[in-house]
Amino acid sequence: MMTIFTCADSFEGILCGVYDAWMSGLGHENVCLELADTGNLRLFAEYRQAEEDPKKAAKVTGAIRKKAGQEVYERVYRASLSCEEQKADRIYRFLVCALRIGPEVVNMLQLPAVYELFRMNRFVANEALHMIEFVRFSRTDGGILFGTVEPRNDVITLMAPHFADRLNAENWIIYDERRRSAVIHRAMGEWIAAELPDDSFREKLMESSDQKEFEDLWRTYHKHIAIAERTNPRCQMSHLPLRFRPHMTEFQEGRA
Amino acid sequence: MFIQQTMDLQEKLAILADAAKYDVACTSSGVERKGRPGQLGSAVYAGLCHSFAADGRCISLLKILYTNQCVYDCKYCINRRSNDVPRAAFTPEEVCRLTMEFYRRNYIEGLFLSSGVLESPDHTMDLLYQTLWKLRNECGFNGYIHLKAIPGADPALIERAGLLADRMSVNLELPTAEGLKKLAPSKDRNRILNPMRQIQRGIAAQRQGLVPYYGEERNAPCRWARQFVPAGQSTQLIVGATPENDYQMLTVAEALYKNYDLKRVFYSAFVRVNDDSLLPALPGGPPLLREHRLYQADWLLRFYGFSAGELLSETQPNFNVLLDPKCDWALRHLELFPVEVMTADYYTLLRVPGIGVRSAKRIAAARRSGRLDFPDLKKMGVVLKRAFCFLTCGGRMMYPVRMNRDFITAQLLGEEKRRAWDIGQKDSYRQMSMFDDGFLNPAPEPEDRYSAALGQL
Ligand code: SF4
Repeated sequence: MMTIFTCADSFEGILCGVYDAWMSGLGHENVCLELADTGNLRLFAEYRQAEEDPKKAAKVTGAIRKKAGQEVYERVYRASLSCEEQKADRIYRFLVCALRIGPEVVNMLQLPAVYELFRMNRFVANEALHMIEFVRFSRTDGGILFGTVEPRNDVITLMAPHFADRLNAENWIIYDERRRSAVIHRAMGEWIAAELPDDSFREKLMESSDQKEFEDLWRTYHKHIAIAERTNPRCQMSHLPLRFRPHMTEFQEGRA
Repeated sequence: MFIQQTMDLQEKLAILADAAKYDVACTSSGVERKGRPGQLGSAVYAGLCHSFAADGRCISLLKILYTNQCVYDCKYCINRRSNDVPRAAFTPEEVCRLTMEFYRRNYIEGLFLSSGVLESPDHTMDLLYQTLWKLRNECGFNGYIHLKAIPGADPALIERAGLLADRMSVNLELPTAEGLKKLAPSKDRNRILNPMRQIQRGIAAQRQGLVPYYGEERNAPCRWARQFVPAGQSTQLIVGATPENDYQMLTVAEALYKNYDLKRVFYSAFVRVNDDSLLPALPGGPPLLREHRLYQADWLLRFYGFSAGELLSETQPNFNVLLDPKCDWALRHLELFPVEVMTADYYTLLRVPGIGVRSAKRIAAARRSGRLDFPDLKKMGVVLKRAFCFLTCGGRMMYPVRMNRDFITAQLLGEEKRRAWDIGQKDSYRQMSMFDDGFLNPAPEPEDRYSAALGQL
């Protein structure tokens, strides 16, 4: 009978699941990892809840770093931010290969477990890059830059280092509307991640804004830089799908 | 010439963005630079695209002219002296404000500053220099700057400006001297090539650590750690304003890469903005497919190890309408195929239609640890629809394929299009829609993920 280890939907939670499943001694083919609360319970399976313990997670990351290297570690981290329900088990299957093979594993796309992780990692990394490019900040009167995003994967922690470097002298917040979480940066300081279950702060923040002047200027620029004779909505759509646009200044109605 | 004195920033921006948009370069690539504490900005080697305009082109930089007033009268240019269009000019402060405020809000990766020629090339170049100086030193802007060098300006000015910019460009515009003489009589070829040569030498000197230093001027502390044009130089060729064929265009581009160390050559499908008897009529609109084919071929020159002479010749001087340049090349060299995935070297793999830079690298890395089969290739990003005629995996082809040109062309195009291909050698680009856009994958380097959408050719 299959034994299913359920774990929390976080990097650490998944690693604890990996630890418990691995150390259970049941054998890789008899265990499976699932995120808690996915709701689809299977018959003929035994459920065990993986217990969260930072020490377990640390042991797993230590083993990954030592046997498979930094690159594999980063890929697993990014895959853990994926929106796919099966990610926990996919990470487990991948680690079974990675800890056996070592750093070379990243090249072995012909192995299904490696390919699945490669695919999740690529989806997350691509979306993080898109979000870095497409997030738009508004500026409040108090000088806070505020940007809202709605990514499919949980990518704001991948965006934060880029802006912490680039906008190091600014106060900024990137808010994930889907997950009600944020990364927050203080000018000349560090960034932190936070859960913000109550989003009423947002209206308060925005009502004190804004220098709408530059938002209008940006819309003007965006309109005028296009060459009419080359109009090509299909091409624009394929590069910048509609799902990104609701939070982008240039696609919002302005006064201009 | 008519200049409104009281124009507000909205109107100026509208006019000077409109006037700048025919310059196609909008990439922000070529230099990696961390942020500096207290300053605004950084640079990412691969470049970033922040938006896409209604024409589907990437918006990476705030691309504006300093002014659209101009003392010259180039036939193809919307800003030429003889045109009756609204004119405007920014002040250095306005350019700085726009750049800083747009950048802060993550609208842009930096500034692309060009200009019409106001009074004289020297005067114009000096204005551009002053603007950049302010932006770098007074505003503390550490993002990307692409600056146009004004042909005919004093080399000393170009040199100073180059120490504040990341990339510089001088547009050749027309590939031959005759074309230039006809359409841009004030710009003889040497006036364009001289600054190009100067910038090339400056970049080379930079690499050897021989950079002149102008730090103490104006008694202001210099916050900018100067480097001369670290992201390299680029140029632009207009496609279809003069009768040059694709072979001539590509040969010129190849020579520019070789002899001037250019980072990029951009191709700009001619848009007929002026009604002038010297300009060709383009009833089908700008030659977009032709521009697209040139970008694909340029890609093959830069990343795939092809030369212009392999892709085109005196007897076949134009690209095929229906097939991308690599497929077209492969069909003319069937004797080299099929190649074996497990043993072919990297450059041989790159020549297979449907295999791009990324997938070739993945194949080379993956096959070390075991046999690959066709489904594996698909996972590595190979476009099997195009590649299957040219590959074997472990000695086996995916389907039985006759190594015969008609057969393979039909496989690639479908029978109906094959007939069109037979007659497609004539210059019918502009009748074609860009139906082939669909197969274009993300490009091998993030740099132009978007600009030309080339990918696994
Ligand atoms: S010099 Fe430049 S701005 Fe002036 S007319 Fe010629 S192309 Fe246009």
